[in-house]
Amino acid sequence: MSVIVLEDAIKRYHTGGEIIEALDSVNFRADRGEMVTIIGPSGSGKSTLLNMIGLLDTPTAGRVRLNGRDVTDFSTDELTEERRSDIGFVFQDYHLLPMLTATENVELPTMWDTEVDRRDRAVELLNRVGLSDRLTHKPPQLSGGQRQRVAIARALVNEPDVLLADEPTGNLDQDTGATILDELTRLKESENIAIVAVTHDEQLVEYSDRVVELVDGTINT
Amino acid sequence: MSRRHPLRRFPSALMAWRNLGRNRVRTALATLGILIGVVAIASLGMATAAIQQQATANLEGLSNEVTVSAGPDNPNDGISADQVDDIERLAGDATVVPERSNVTTLSARNGAETRVSVTALTKADAMYNVSRGSISNRLRSGALLSQADARRLGIEIGDPVTYDGKIYRVQGILSSSQGIGGQQRVLVLPLSAMDNQNYYDSVTVLAEPGQSVEALTANIESSFNTADEDIVRVRNFAFVQQNVGSFLSTLRLGLLGIGSISLVVASVAILNVMLMSTVERRGEIGVLRAVGITRGEVLRMILTEAVFLGVIGGVLGVVVSAGVGVILFEFLLGSPLSAFRWQSVQYLLYGMVFAVAASSISGLYPAWKAANERPVEALRD
Ligand SMILES: Nc1ncnc2c1ncn2[C@@H]1O[C@H](COP(=O)(O)OP(=O)(O)OP(=O)(O)O)[C@@H](O)[C@H]1O
Ligand SMILES: [Mg+2]
Repeated sequence: MSVIVLEDAIKRYHTGGEIIEALDSVNFRADRGEMVTIIGPSGSGKSTLLNMIGLLDTPTAGRVRLNGRDVTDFSTDELTEERRSDIGFVFQDYHLLPMLTATENVELPTMWDTEVDRRDRAVELLNRVGLSDRLTHKPPQLSGGQRQRVAIARALVNEPDVLLADEPTGNLDQDTGATILDELTRLKESENIAIVAVTHDEQLVEYSDRVVELVDGTINT
Repeated sequence: MSRRHPLRRFPSALMAWRNLGRNRVRTALATLGILIGVVAIASLGMATAAIQQQATANLEGLSNEVTVSAGPDNPNDGISADQVDDIERLAGDATVVPERSNVTTLSARNGAETRVSVTALTKADAMYNVSRGSISNRLRSGALLSQADARRLGIEIGDPVTYDGKIYRVQGILSSSQGIGGQQRVLVLPLSAMDNQNYYDSVTVLAEPGQSVEALTANIESSFNTADEDIVRVRNFAFVQQNVGSFLSTLRLGLLGIGSISLVVASVAILNVMLMSTVERRGEIGVLRAVGITRGEVLRMILTEAVFLGVIGGVLGVVVSAGVGVILFEFLLGSPLSAFRWQSVQYLLYGMVFAVAASSISGLYPAWKAANERPVEALRD
């Protein structure tokens, strides 16, 4: 069973009397253990699609299923709960909180669940991405690659079913990008998760199991 | 292993604390605003408490007094000895001090002259306090003189004064803070100084603690006077106390109102600071929401920041106000520690409560706004 499924998803934006169809009847799915890459020209709707998959936004029409459950009509708070328990996010600009240590940043998604302590898992994940000696460093003291690895550890702390990455290598040089992608590939297998990445990066495409190309809001097959 | 933060079990508090630490100058200024508000409320409140205590202390001497003098229908030119006996009977445990009075001119060796009222009585010690010298129960050939006149005439303890051809030695100088009735310009002599008068000009009844001044007044009045005959005039000063009391509570309300305005200003400052900092952190809050932090949790986090500002400002404000209070009470009453009686220390509590309440209220809107921002929008820019 696919972790995440979009059926005939349509997303329209109303701006200044004009209607922009950012997604037009998109069908999409991702399975555990696979890395799907979404490519396409700027403005083609990649981020919009990723927001649907990540339950950050709901489609104007169509259905969204997470682990077989229809979550399309979930409330804001229900969607937040789903993201917290099943989805991990990695952003192009890392988006770490500067006043928290690396470990605290990794713990962040579960920080308010005071009954479960994710400290050990956070430390273990940081070990796994090669940052065992940077646990108490704060983001400003880390390099771009190190920050992105902290962000990856954060995306995994809640043991998600799907990890979403919008341009995860966008701000990294070739070599650092490659180590990050190696990391993601390993984690994809060890954690048995689906990874959906949006990219312009040819290198990332090489690492993926499947590539989906968006053009003008529709999938080009 | 990294050590756990002590606030780890209170994630909103931990995050709020860290966020406040990010822009120390801004946090300090917001705190300062609250501090000033609290100091305004608390020290104005404490000032009125000090004034109130001082007024009460001054009025205390009067509040237990009932004064009896001749009424318009009295056949005599004063209160007779028999009537004093009657009053004595009605007064129970209260001390009854009959006195005769007159006016005289005192002159000093250096030629200075001053007019004073003269009071002749026994039991002078029940009626007066001296700042220098002493009072014996019966003055015999001693006299007491008010401070202002003593100073004007250059009279010291032991100096003679002359009244009606007789010489008395000043054995005490009256203390100046003798209440509102005021022993401003008075010479106190033994009763024998006016033995030529048959009647007493007034009789003062000093109620014992627990005795009702009002009841005493009513008793004396009803036993001497009838509906159409006012043999005696009976007065007490309870009304003065009431008037002063109600004036002071108006004053207190006014001053507290002024104090509250500064706290309102401070909470507007907090509102501004919180709005600024949440707008700056818009993307960051979007990330929190994206990774699964609920709206309620974001709301609590930001509200906690505002509450922290209030608590820190409040605590510092209370410390400063306590200092101000001690100085005020030292200055107005000469007893710095009276500042810590409930009557005044309650304003520290009010200041603190106001500070926390005002900052929480100012935090509500920014917190609500940040929590309800859609993460997609917040992450876009
Ligand atoms: N909130 C919005 N309001 C109006 N139009 C929007 C909004 N979000 C996206 N769009 C429009 O939808 C289309 C797709 O945008 P999207 O951000 O998904 O593109 P993208 O493929 O991610 O582009 P890029 O590669 O530049 O990031 C664009 O035409 C964009 O202008
Ligand atoms: Mg995009």
